[in-house]
Amino acid sequence: MHAATFLNLLQLASPALPVGAYSYSEGVETLVAQGHITHPETLLDWLTQELRSGSIRLDAAVLARAYRASCDRQWDALHTWNDWLSALRETEELRSQNWQMGRSLMRLFLDLEPAAAPQLPVDWQREPCNFAIAFAIVANHWQIPLPDALLAYLQSWATNLISAGVRLVPLGQTDGQRLLRAIAPTLIATTDEILTLTDEDLMACNWGLALASMGHETQYSRLFRS
Amino acid sequence: MRIFVQSSSLIPGTAWHGKLALTYRQQGSKTVPVVQTQAPLKVQRPFYPEGESVCHSVVLHTAGGMVGGDRLSYAIVVEPGAHAWVTTTAAAKIYGDHPHQRPAIVVGTVQVATGACLEWLPQESIVFSGAHYHQHWRIDLAPGAHWLGWDILRLGRTAHGEKFLAGEVRSRFEVFQNQRSVWVDPQWLLGDERTWSGVHGLHQCPVIGTLAYVGQPVPVEWVAAARDCWPAARRHPGEAGVTRLQAGLLCRYRGHSTQDARRWFEAVWHQLRPHYAQRPALRSRLWQR
Repeated sequence: MHAATFLNLLQLASPALPVGAYSYSEGVETLVAQGHITHPETLLDWLTQELRSGSIRLDAAVLARAYRASCDRQWDALHTWNDWLSALRETEELRSQNWQMGRSLMRLFLDLEPAAAPQLPVDWQREPCNFAIAFAIVANHWQIPLPDALLAYLQSWATNLISAGVRLVPLGQTDGQRLLRAIAPTLIATTDEILTLTDEDLMACNWGLALASMGHETQYSRLFRS
Repeated sequence: MRIFVQSSSLIPGTAWHGKLALTYRQQGSKTVPVVQTQAPLKVQRPFYPEGESVCHSVVLHTAGGMVGGDRLSYAIVVEPGAHAWVTTTAAAKIYGDHPHQRPAIVVGTVQVATGACLEWLPQESIVFSGAHYHQHWRIDLAPGAHWLGWDILRLGRTAHGEKFLAGEVRSRFEVFQNQRSVWVDPQWLLGDERTWSGVHGLHQCPVIGTLAYVGQPVPVEWVAAARDCWPAARRHPGEAGVTRLQAGLLCRYRGHSTQDARRWFEAVWHQLRPHYAQRPALRSRLWQR
C-alpha cells in the first residue's frame, strides 16, 4: 500500500474520526446493566457472535456492495443498498445511530474533498445515509483497497464497543487492548468470509442485539445515546 | 393435549407442493375472497364475525406437517378498499426428516392495495430439531395500505426435552411500500450450541416471535401502548421489546411460551387496530385455547 493510502486508511478508521461513534454502545450498555456482560470474556463472546452470525456481518457485506457500486458509479445500486440497510435496522435507535454517523461522515468528506461533490448524485447529501455506505464511498474515493477497508471498518466497530465496555463494566485499559488482540483472528476471518457472501447469504441472527437495543431505548439511566 | 404424528408415516414418495392463491375484492361494502388451492393447502369458508367489510379466512394444512422437500406457496392479493383477516387452524409442524435432501420451504407473496388491509395472524410453527426450514415472504404495499403480521416459532419440541441443536431456520420477511424497501428481516438460526445458549442468540429460549405493523410512520405512543401490554401477557420467563420501524412498529419476543407470545401479540393488535383500521379488534374463537 502507498504511504498516502495507508494514511487515508488510518484516518478513516481512527476513533478520532468526528462522527460520534463513541457515544453509542449498540446494546452493550443494556447487556452490562442486565449482568450479561461482566468481564472481558463475556464481551469477547458477544463480539465474536456478532461477527460470526450477527448484524455487523450484514453491514460489512453491504459496505462491500456499496464500494463496488461506487467504483462503477452505479448510483441506483448504492441507493438500493442504502434503503436495504435502513430497512434492516433492528431498532429505531440503531437506525438513528447509523443515519447520524453516515450524515456526519458524508459532511466531513465533502468538507475535506469539495472536488468530490460534483461526482456524487445531488440527492445523496439530503437523504439518510447509513454509516457503512458513507464509509464505502470515502474508502473508494481515497483508493483504499476493499479488503483493507472492510477489515478497518470491523476493527473500528470492535474498538468502539470495547471502549464502551471499558467504560461500562468497567474494565482496565490493558484489558481493552488485550481484547482487541484477542478478537483480531475473528476480524480477519470475517473479512475473508464477507467477501465471498452472495446476496442470498445476507442473513443474521439478531435476537440478542434487537432486544438489548429495544431495552436501551427505555433504559432509565444511560451514558450512551439512543 | 397435542399428539405428534410419527413423522416417518408422513414421508411421501414425492414431496408435496401446496399452493394457495387468495384474492380479496371489495364488492359494494363487502370483502369477497377468490380462492384457488392445491393440496395440502385449503381454505375454510369465509366468515364475517364483524360485518361484511372484513373477510375472515382460516387456512388449513391437511397433511399435518412438512418434511424436507415439501413446499408451500402463497399468493395473497388484497384489492383496493378490501380488508382481510387470516389465521390457520393449527400450529404448523416442520419435521426433522429430509428424505429429498432439501429444506422445507414456504414462499409467500403479498400485495396490498391503497386503502386495503391484511392481517396475517397464523398459529405458531414448531420446528423440530434437525429440520431445515426456509420461509421467504415478500410483501408489497401501496401507499395507504396496511399490513399487520406475526410469526411465532417454537424451536425444538421442548415438551420432549428437545433443544434445537441441529438443523437450520432461514426466515426472510421483506416489506416494500411504493416499491421501496421499508422493512427487511433476514433471520438465520443455526441449530448449534452457541446460537442456542448465548445471550446473543436464543439465550436458551425455544420460542421467538415477531409482530410487525407496516403502513405508515407511527407516533411513539403506539410503542408505549405495545410495551404496556407485556406485563399482563407474561406468565413464563421471557423478554419482550418494541421499537418503531420507518413506516410502522415492531415487537420481538424471546422466551419459553407460545401462549405468552400470542397473548401479548393479540393485546398489541387490540391496541393498534383502532388506529390503522378504525375498528376495534375482536377475540377470535379460534385462539381460545
